[in-house]
Amino acid sequence: MTGAEPARAAGDGVARRLRLPAALERIADARQFVRSAAAEAGAPVECLEDLVQAVDEAATNVVLHGYGGGPGWLEIAAERDGDEFVVTLQDGAPAFDPTSHPEPDLTVPPLARRPGGMGVHLIRESTDRLAYRPRPGGGNILTMVRSLRPDRKEDG
Amino acid sequence: MALTTSVDEVTGRVPITVMALEGELDASNFERLIEEVRGLYERGSRHLLLDLGGLAFIASSGLVALHSIVRTMRGEAPPDPESGWGALHSLGLDVSSGSSQTEVQLCAPQPAVARVLQRTGLDRLFTIHPDRDAAIAAF
Repeated sequence: MTGAEPARAAGDGVARRLRLPAALERIADARQFVRSAAAEAGAPVECLEDLVQAVDEAATNVVLHGYGGGPGWLEIAAERDGDEFVVTLQDGAPAFDPTSHPEPDLTVPPLARRPGGMGVHLIRESTDRLAYRPRPGGGNILTMVRSLRPDRKEDG
Repeated sequence: MALTTSVDEVTGRVPITVMALEGELDASNFERLIEEVRGLYERGSRHLLLDLGGLAFIASSGLVALHSIVRTMRGEAPPDPESGWGALHSLGLDVSSGSSQTEVQLCAPQPAVARVLQRTGLDRLFTIHPDRDAAIAAF
Protein backbone atom coordinates (compact mmCIF):
# COMPACT_ATOMS: atom_id res chain seq x y z
CA MET A 1 0.00 0.00 0.00
CA THR A 2 1.37 3.39 -0.92
CA GLY A 3 -1.48 5.69 0.18
CA ALA A 4 -1.64 7.20 3.65
CA GLU A 5 -4.93 5.42 4.28
CA PRO A 6 -5.12 1.72 3.51
CA ALA A 7 -8.05 0.87 1.31
CA ARG A 8 -11.03 -0.41 3.27
CA ALA A 9 -12.58 -3.39 1.61
CA ALA A 10 -16.12 -4.57 2.12
CA GLY A 11 -16.08 -6.74 5.21
CA ASP A 12 -12.90 -5.16 6.56
CA GLY A 13 -12.73 -5.70 10.29
CA VAL A 14 -15.56 -8.24 10.30
CA ALA A 15 -14.10 -11.63 11.08
CA ARG A 16 -15.46 -14.78 9.51
CA ARG A 17 -15.37 -17.76 11.85
CA LEU A 18 -15.25 -21.52 11.48
CA ARG A 19 -15.42 -24.06 14.29
CA LEU A 20 -14.21 -27.60 13.62
CA PRO A 21 -13.68 -30.82 15.53
CA ALA A 22 -9.97 -31.56 16.03
CA ALA A 23 -9.52 -34.22 13.34
CA LEU A 24 -6.94 -34.49 10.57
CA GLU A 25 -9.73 -35.18 8.06
CA ARG A 26 -11.21 -31.73 8.79
CA ILE A 27 -8.08 -29.66 8.23
CA ALA A 28 -8.95 -29.42 4.52
CA ASP A 29 -12.01 -27.47 5.70
CA ALA A 30 -9.74 -25.04 7.56
CA ARG A 31 -7.68 -24.52 4.41
CA GLN A 32 -10.76 -23.99 2.26
CA PHE A 33 -12.20 -21.52 4.79
CA VAL A 34 -9.04 -19.40 4.82
CA ARG A 35 -8.65 -19.65 1.03
CA SER A 36 -12.16 -18.38 0.51
CA ALA A 37 -11.96 -15.63 3.17
CA ALA A 38 -8.65 -14.35 1.79
CA ALA A 39 -9.94 -14.44 -1.79
CA GLU A 40 -13.01 -12.47 -0.71
CA ALA A 41 -10.67 -9.85 0.78
CA GLY A 42 -8.90 -9.54 -2.55
CA ALA A 43 -5.69 -11.26 -1.45
CA PRO A 44 -3.27 -12.03 -4.28
CA VAL A 45 -2.67 -15.72 -4.90
CA GLU A 46 0.76 -15.78 -3.20
CA CYS A 47 -0.76 -14.28 -0.05
CA LEU A 48 -3.68 -16.67 -0.13
CA GLU A 49 -1.42 -19.69 -0.55
CA ASP A 50 0.83 -18.58 2.31
CA LEU A 51 -2.15 -18.15 4.64
CA VAL A 52 -3.47 -21.59 3.65
CA GLN A 53 -0.05 -23.11 4.42
CA ALA A 54 0.15 -21.36 7.80
CA VAL A 55 -3.32 -22.40 8.97
CA ASP A 56 -2.76 -25.99 7.83
CA GLU A 57 0.49 -26.36 9.73
CA ALA A 58 -0.84 -24.65 12.85
CA ALA A 59 -4.09 -26.66 12.90
CA THR A 60 -2.23 -29.92 12.26
CA ASN A 61 0.08 -29.20 15.21
CA VAL A 62 -2.93 -28.61 17.46
CA VAL A 63 -4.63 -31.86 16.39
CA LEU A 64 -1.52 -34.04 16.60
CA HIS A 65 0.46 -32.45 19.42
CA GLY A 66 -2.01 -30.21 21.28
CA TYR A 67 -4.81 -32.77 21.58
CA GLY A 68 -2.49 -35.73 20.95
CA GLY A 69 -4.97 -37.18 18.46
CA GLY A 70 -7.77 -37.11 21.04
CA PRO A 71 -11.07 -35.21 20.84
CA GLY A 72 -11.13 -31.43 20.82
CA TRP A 73 -12.10 -28.37 18.85
CA LEU A 74 -10.53 -25.63 16.77
CA GLU A 75 -11.91 -22.21 15.97
CA ILE A 76 -10.51 -20.14 13.13
CA ALA A 77 -11.21 -16.47 12.56
CA ALA A 78 -10.13 -14.73 9.37
CA GLU A 79 -10.30 -11.01 8.65
CA ARG A 80 -8.74 -8.25 6.65
CA ASP A 81 -7.12 -5.49 8.70
CA GLY A 82 -6.10 -2.65 6.40
CA ASP A 83 -3.30 -3.92 4.18
CA GLU A 84 -2.90 -7.12 6.18
CA PHE A 85 -4.86 -10.33 6.61
CA VAL A 86 -5.19 -11.86 10.06
CA VAL A 87 -5.92 -15.54 10.81
CA THR A 88 -6.52 -16.46 14.45
CA LEU A 89 -6.55 -20.07 15.61
CA GLN A 90 -8.02 -20.94 19.00
CA ASP A 91 -8.11 -24.32 20.70
CA GLY A 92 -8.74 -25.85 24.10
CA ALA A 93 -5.62 -28.02 24.20
CA PRO A 94 -2.92 -27.87 26.89
CA ALA A 95 -0.85 -24.72 26.63
CA PHE A 96 1.75 -24.75 23.89
CA ASP A 97 3.49 -21.72 22.42
CA PRO A 98 4.71 -22.50 18.89
CA THR A 99 6.42 -19.11 18.67
CA SER A 100 8.84 -20.33 21.35
CA HIS A 101 9.76 -23.30 19.17
CA PRO A 102 13.41 -22.82 18.25
CA GLU A 103 14.10 -21.80 14.69
CA PRO A 104 15.89 -24.60 12.81
CA ASP A 105 19.67 -24.22 12.89
CA LEU A 106 20.28 -22.96 9.38
CA THR A 107 23.91 -24.09 9.47
CA VAL A 108 22.63 -27.69 9.58
CA PRO A 109 21.65 -29.01 6.13
CA PRO A 110 17.83 -28.76 5.96
CA LEU A 111 17.39 -32.51 5.69
CA ALA A 112 19.37 -33.10 8.86
CA ARG A 113 16.82 -31.11 10.87
CA ARG A 114 14.07 -32.79 12.81
CA PRO A 115 10.77 -33.03 10.90
CA GLY A 116 8.74 -31.60 13.79
CA GLY A 117 10.39 -28.26 13.26
CA MET A 118 9.32 -28.00 9.66
CA GLY A 119 5.67 -27.12 10.35
CA VAL A 120 6.53 -24.18 12.58
CA HIS A 121 9.31 -23.22 10.18
CA LEU A 122 6.77 -23.09 7.35
CA ILE A 123 4.36 -21.00 9.46
CA ARG A 124 7.14 -18.49 10.04
CA GLU A 125 8.15 -18.54 6.38
CA SER A 126 4.53 -17.96 5.28
CA THR A 127 3.65 -15.05 7.58
CA ASP A 128 4.95 -11.64 8.58
CA ARG A 129 4.06 -11.84 12.28
CA LEU A 130 3.07 -14.53 14.75
CA ALA A 131 1.68 -13.91 18.19
CA TYR A 132 0.76 -16.40 20.89
CA ARG A 133 -1.24 -15.98 24.05
CA PRO A 134 -2.88 -18.46 26.41
CA ARG A 135 -6.65 -18.60 26.04
CA PRO A 136 -8.55 -17.38 29.08
CA GLY A 137 -10.18 -20.46 30.63
CA GLY A 138 -7.70 -22.83 29.00
CA GLY A 139 -6.25 -23.40 25.57
CA ASN A 140 -4.26 -21.38 23.09
CA ILE A 141 -4.68 -18.44 20.75
CA LEU A 142 -2.28 -18.13 17.83
CA THR A 143 -2.51 -15.06 15.61
CA MET A 144 -0.92 -15.20 12.15
CA VAL A 145 -0.59 -12.00 10.15
CA ARG A 146 0.45 -11.60 6.54
CA SER A 147 0.71 -8.59 4.27
CA LEU A 148 -1.88 -8.56 1.48
CA ARG A 149 0.90 -7.83 -1.01
CA PRO A 150 2.19 -10.74 -3.10
CA ASP A 151 5.56 -10.64 -1.31
CA ARG A 152 5.86 -10.80 2.43
CA LYS A 153 7.12 -7.56 3.95
CA GLU A 154 10.46 -9.03 4.87
CA ASP A 155 10.91 -10.38 1.34
CA GLY A 156 10.79 -6.88 -0.11
CA MET B 1 -9.96 -31.75 -1.80
CA ALA B 2 -8.73 -35.27 -1.32
CA LEU B 3 -5.61 -36.80 -2.77
CA THR B 4 -5.85 -39.12 -5.75
CA THR B 5 -3.03 -40.94 -7.48
CA SER B 6 -2.71 -42.58 -10.85
CA VAL B 7 0.16 -44.74 -12.03
CA ASP B 8 1.67 -45.30 -15.47
CA GLU B 9 4.63 -47.43 -16.47
CA VAL B 10 6.83 -45.91 -19.16
CA THR B 11 10.12 -46.94 -20.69
CA GLY B 12 12.94 -44.46 -20.96
CA ARG B 13 16.55 -45.57 -20.67
CA VAL B 14 15.19 -47.53 -17.71
CA PRO B 15 11.67 -48.60 -16.77
CA ILE B 16 10.03 -45.65 -14.99
CA THR B 17 6.95 -45.66 -12.83
CA VAL B 18 5.11 -42.37 -13.17
CA MET B 19 2.77 -41.50 -10.33
CA ALA B 20 0.59 -38.43 -10.84
CA LEU B 21 -0.66 -36.74 -7.66
CA GLU B 22 -3.87 -34.77 -7.76
CA GLY B 23 -5.43 -32.78 -4.94
CA GLU B 24 -3.90 -31.92 -1.58
CA LEU B 25 -1.22 -33.85 0.32
CA ASP B 26 -1.60 -33.31 4.04
CA ALA B 27 -1.46 -35.00 7.44
CA SER B 28 -4.65 -36.98 6.73
CA ASN B 29 -3.31 -38.81 3.68
CA PHE B 30 0.52 -38.74 3.62
CA GLU B 31 0.81 -42.20 5.17
CA ARG B 32 -1.42 -43.68 2.45
CA LEU B 33 0.92 -42.23 -0.18
CA ILE B 34 3.94 -43.81 1.52
CA GLU B 35 2.13 -47.17 1.52
CA GLU B 36 1.22 -46.87 -2.16
CA VAL B 37 4.84 -46.28 -3.10
CA ARG B 38 5.92 -49.18 -0.91
CA GLY B 39 3.52 -51.35 -2.91
CA LEU B 40 5.06 -50.12 -6.17
CA TYR B 41 8.54 -50.95 -4.91
CA GLU B 42 7.44 -54.41 -3.81
CA ARG B 43 6.03 -55.00 -7.30
CA GLY B 44 9.39 -54.12 -8.83
CA SER B 45 9.47 -50.36 -9.44
CA ARG B 46 12.97 -48.94 -9.03
CA HIS B 47 12.66 -45.53 -10.69
CA LEU B 48 9.81 -43.25 -9.69
CA LEU B 49 8.69 -40.00 -11.25
CA LEU B 50 6.20 -38.05 -9.15
CA ASP B 51 4.18 -35.78 -11.43
CA LEU B 52 3.10 -32.91 -9.18
CA GLY B 53 1.17 -31.02 -11.88
CA GLY B 54 -2.19 -31.67 -10.20
CA LEU B 55 -0.99 -31.16 -6.64
CA ALA B 56 -2.47 -27.93 -5.30
CA PHE B 57 -1.09 -28.12 -1.76
CA ILE B 58 1.63 -29.87 0.22
CA ALA B 59 1.88 -29.76 4.01
CA SER B 60 5.02 -30.46 6.03
CA SER B 61 3.67 -34.00 6.51
CA GLY B 62 3.79 -34.32 2.73
CA LEU B 63 7.49 -33.52 2.91
CA VAL B 64 7.87 -36.36 5.39
CA ALA B 65 6.15 -38.56 2.78
CA LEU B 66 8.64 -37.49 0.09
CA HIS B 67 11.46 -38.34 2.48
CA SER B 68 9.99 -41.78 3.20
CA ILE B 69 9.42 -42.41 -0.50
CA VAL B 70 13.11 -41.79 -1.23
CA ARG B 71 14.06 -44.29 1.48
CA THR B 72 11.58 -46.84 0.17
CA MET B 73 12.76 -46.53 -3.43
CA ARG B 74 16.36 -46.95 -2.28
CA GLY B 75 15.40 -50.18 -0.54
CA GLU B 76 16.00 -48.68 2.90
CA ALA B 77 14.11 -49.59 6.04
CA PRO B 78 10.98 -47.56 6.77
CA PRO B 79 12.06 -44.38 8.52
CA ASP B 80 11.45 -43.67 12.15
CA PRO B 81 9.23 -40.58 11.97
CA GLU B 82 10.91 -39.15 15.04
CA SER B 83 14.35 -39.24 13.49
CA GLY B 84 13.10 -38.03 10.11
CA TRP B 85 15.55 -35.67 8.49
CA GLY B 86 18.48 -37.04 10.44
CA ALA B 87 17.79 -40.52 9.10
CA LEU B 88 17.73 -39.22 5.56
CA HIS B 89 20.97 -37.36 6.09
CA SER B 90 22.54 -40.57 7.35
CA LEU B 91 21.81 -42.22 4.01
CA GLY B 92 24.89 -40.39 2.85
CA LEU B 93 23.01 -38.10 0.53
CA ASP B 94 25.10 -35.00 0.20
CA VAL B 95 22.20 -32.60 0.13
CA SER B 96 24.30 -29.54 0.88
CA SER B 97 26.40 -29.81 -2.25
CA GLY B 98 23.42 -30.50 -4.49
CA SER B 99 24.39 -34.02 -5.47
CA SER B 100 21.15 -35.85 -4.90
CA GLN B 101 19.63 -39.25 -5.32
CA THR B 102 18.15 -40.14 -8.71
CA GLU B 103 15.71 -42.95 -7.86
CA VAL B 104 12.90 -40.45 -7.22
CA GLN B 105 12.49 -37.36 -9.36
CA LEU B 106 9.77 -34.71 -9.50
CA CYS B 107 8.12 -32.76 -12.27
CA ALA B 108 5.73 -29.87 -12.86
CA PRO B 109 5.23 -28.52 -9.32
CA GLN B 110 2.74 -25.65 -9.05
CA PRO B 111 4.19 -22.43 -7.59
CA ALA B 112 2.83 -23.02 -4.06
CA VAL B 113 4.35 -26.50 -3.90
CA ALA B 114 7.65 -25.34 -5.41
CA ARG B 115 7.80 -22.60 -2.76
CA VAL B 116 7.39 -25.13 0.07
CA LEU B 117 10.12 -27.35 -1.37
CA GLN B 118 12.41 -24.34 -1.60
CA ARG B 119 11.59 -22.94 1.84
CA THR B 120 12.45 -26.25 3.48
CA GLY B 121 15.50 -27.13 1.39
CA LEU B 122 13.81 -30.26 -0.05
CA ASP B 123 14.45 -28.88 -3.53
CA ARG B 124 18.10 -29.82 -3.00
CA LEU B 125 17.26 -33.50 -2.61
CA PHE B 126 15.33 -33.86 -5.86
CA THR B 127 15.91 -33.15 -9.49
CA ILE B 128 12.80 -31.14 -10.38
CA HIS B 129 11.86 -31.13 -14.07
CA PRO B 130 9.52 -28.66 -15.77
CA ASP B 131 7.35 -31.38 -17.31
CA ARG B 132 6.86 -35.10 -17.62
CA ASP B 133 8.63 -35.53 -20.96
CA ALA B 134 11.77 -33.76 -19.76
CA ALA B 135 11.76 -35.87 -16.63
CA ILE B 136 11.37 -39.18 -18.47
CA ALA B 137 14.26 -38.24 -20.78
CA ALA B 138 16.47 -37.55 -17.77
CA PHE B 139 16.19 -40.91 -16.00
